[in-house]
Amino acid sequence: MEQEIMADIQSQATAATSTSSGPAAMQLRNVAVSFNGRTAVRNCTFDVGKNRVTSLIGPSGSGKTTLLRALNRLHDLTPGAKVSGEILLEGVDVYRGDITATELRARVGMVFQRPNPFPTMSIYDNVISGLRFNGIKKKSLLDAAAESSLRSAALWESVENRLKVPASNLSGGEQQRLCIARALAMDPEVLLMDEPTSALDPIATLRIEELMTTLKSRVSVVIVTHNMQQAARISDDCAFLLMGEDRTGELIEFDTTEKIFNNPDDSRTLDYTLGRFG
Amino acid sequence: MARVPSELRRDDEVVAEFNSATTSRSWYRNLLIVAAVLFAVVSVGFVGTILWSSLPMWLHHAGTLLWGKGWNAPVGPFGGLAMITGTVETSLIALLIAIVIGLGTSIAIVFVIPRRLRNVVATLVELLAAVPSIVYGLWGLLVIAPWMQNTVNPWLNSWPFATTIFGNPGQEFGTSLLLASVVLGIMILPTFVAISREVLAVVPQDLVEASLSLGATRWQVIREVVIPTSKVGLLGATFLSLARATGETVAVALVAGGVANAQFHLLYPGTSIAAWIATQFGESQSTEIPALMALGVLLMLLNFGLSLLSRSLVNRQRRLLALV
Amino acid sequence: MSDLTNLVGPLEVGHEMRGEIRRIANNTRARRQFISRVMMVLSLVALSVAAVPLVLLIIVLLRNGIPTLNAAFFTQLPQTPTLVTPNIVGGVSNAIVGSLALNLYASILAIPLGILVGVYLAENETKFATSLRVVAQTMAGAPSILMGLFAFSFLVHDLNLGFTALAGSFALAVLMLPVIVISTEIAVRSVPHTLREAGLALGAKPHKISLKVVLPSALTGIVTGAILAVSRAVGETAPVLLVIGGGFLNEWRPLNPVSALPLTIYENAKSEWPAQRAQVWGVALVLVAFVFVLSLSARIWASRKQQVK
Repeated sequence: MEQEIMADIQSQATAATSTSSGPAAMQLRNVAVSFNGRTAVRNCTFDVGKNRVTSLIGPSGSGKTTLLRALNRLHDLTPGAKVSGEILLEGVDVYRGDITATELRARVGMVFQRPNPFPTMSIYDNVISGLRFNGIKKKSLLDAAAESSLRSAALWESVENRLKVPASNLSGGEQQRLCIARALAMDPEVLLMDEPTSALDPIATLRIEELMTTLKSRVSVVIVTHNMQQAARISDDCAFLLMGEDRTGELIEFDTTEKIFNNPDDSRTLDYTLGRFG
Repeated sequence: MARVPSELRRDDEVVAEFNSATTSRSWYRNLLIVAAVLFAVVSVGFVGTILWSSLPMWLHHAGTLLWGKGWNAPVGPFGGLAMITGTVETSLIALLIAIVIGLGTSIAIVFVIPRRLRNVVATLVELLAAVPSIVYGLWGLLVIAPWMQNTVNPWLNSWPFATTIFGNPGQEFGTSLLLASVVLGIMILPTFVAISREVLAVVPQDLVEASLSLGATRWQVIREVVIPTSKVGLLGATFLSLARATGETVAVALVAGGVANAQFHLLYPGTSIAAWIATQFGESQSTEIPALMALGVLLMLLNFGLSLLSRSLVNRQRRLLALV
Repeated sequence: MSDLTNLVGPLEVGHEMRGEIRRIANNTRARRQFISRVMMVLSLVALSVAAVPLVLLIIVLLRNGIPTLNAAFFTQLPQTPTLVTPNIVGGVSNAIVGSLALNLYASILAIPLGILVGVYLAENETKFATSLRVVAQTMAGAPSILMGLFAFSFLVHDLNLGFTALAGSFALAVLMLPVIVISTEIAVRSVPHTLREAGLALGAKPHKISLKVVLPSALTGIVTGAILAVSRAVGETAPVLLVIGGGFLNEWRPLNPVSALPLTIYENAKSEWPAQRAQVWGVALVLVAFVFVLSLSARIWASRKQQVK
């Protein structure tokens, strides 16, 4: 039974992976995040491939979400949080380089665990909210971006005729796709997704997973997931993180999804993908 | 019911027994019911007594009370227009002050200052609320009023069109409707801050992070997301503060000047409904009491209406955010 | 997968709009960040402005109040200054005694009843309980002058008792009641339901559980609420102004007229004698210090208890 599932996951991983390792959208060099001097995650060095889906996997507490939130400087809000090492976006260090958090976040979008459309805004206003924040007022540009991003999020057909209704009228899965569209409207280089399907039912999850494989033609995706099958199905590369003895998460292994699931270098990676812990 | 060993009973049976036992008539249960009924009687008595005492006024002179200009104690007529306009003027200006400063303060507390300072500032705001209103009144009368009289009033009157708003009474008075409004504004500020701070703080962090992740600045997050999301609750805070302002008594009695003169010039002395009751009651005779009680009824209607409205708004906000 | 491809459209999505979006975003960013910074600074300015009255008030109270505080202030009866002795004002012992008596009687009237009503509201979901809750919330915000009117109509006028300490205490008790009811209800409701069920599972009677388990667990919240109610009542002027009569003796008996600290402030603030106006600052200082100590200790106690849990 275990072998059957494993074989299934492995074949999916093989199918999902495109082997060419092209240019990087983001580069992480020895990244560590600490809160009030206590390190939560460290030793993270890998490249987020351009137009690839990179998943961060590992058991709870291994620092996946913490690492993800470092990529668009969301830890700036938390007093006592410190990010060390280098995170490069097109060669520019996002923490120390010539870029503000506001500009970074306009170029690196994020989708959260729970669908979180702005409750006071209509579907249309939600989609273009990022553009509005960034000073774009031109109606033609707003309309074009709204349609394009809703199409990319596979939501256009179902909301085309009700763009002015409150976003809260949508189902959970639709709301999450709206949040994806909202992030896409800025046409970001990188899209960060923090367990985007964990609050959704299986059907909605499937729709989002299908969506992600098509999204990568438009944006490079980094996704945190607890679901091994999901990681195997949708990602090209995998970063496996694990919490060590000192309760600090660290990167164990980074490679193509195929290698991580079929013949990883580290035995702990194999144990985890086989479901022996976590 | 057969005794079942307690460890064998199911949870719902335990709860059912709890409910049936609490509804049975133990002495303790009866005591609670008596207390609740007594409280209801006191509340009904509270409203009923004041209404009853004011009845002669409503039956015979309702129009005078609502529209009449002069207050001729002890025989009447008792016109309430000056008190009503005074209440409306001072409360609205106080509200304006409280909203402008209070919203800024709440934003600073929730979004700007470091987290560990929040409790300190919250305690200070509570202390501000704990200062008895008579002390504000004293401060207004003995410290601010002379300063207004000698410094602020002449300066205000040097503005163009000042007479239209302020009435230019010269330096005759330190106590005025404007002073009452400012003191009231300071007094209702803690109320507004306490509620609006809570309302702003419960806006889900999710939404804040989502807007930041789209490249919004802090102020954009607050203006475009936080405030629209919490506007119902902020409206609730506004109405509750207004209710407080209308009900403040002794501070206004000390600093408004205590003159029953229906006019809108802010630098002239005036009074409010609550303050007028306080200042008149001491010397009042039986003929005047129904009129003062009738003013009390007006105050009660105004206050209860505003606070019920405010409470339903704050509750609506809570339900709204529970859905997000 | 195939139907999705139709929805998505052509897969090779270009970035035609990216250039223009980035250009506008970059051009407006500096301005947007500047505005944001200005607004954040303005909010801090608002916070400082809000703090100004508290700071000024405390400075004025200390500077004007401390010089008037001496043994005579606390122990002597007041004296009316005369042209020959314009600076002899005596003390305010009558107001201190009166305030203590008023608040003691009010606490006796309001605290036990308020706690019982609060427990009733916490343990019942009937229509009566729900409407009583709304009544309590509305009463808690009612202008205090109305409590004075109520006490006047009912005790002074209808029962014809005249101006008495009892009438003042009654007004203050009506003021305190809803505050105690609400805080008790919140405190009792915050006791975990499992505690009660554990008691029931052990075969205890519900009223025993309520008395021996729930009330002790809720005690901190109940006491805090009661202290805050008292601290509010101590400073209230309007309700007692109408009914206690005032007086220049150390009077405490319930059916006699009494004086009170806030009443002394109200009356002497407008005095024509500078020495009397000066002494008022001392009374205000004592009152504020008393109220601050009460509410701070309630707060600290509540938060310390919370940490122990």
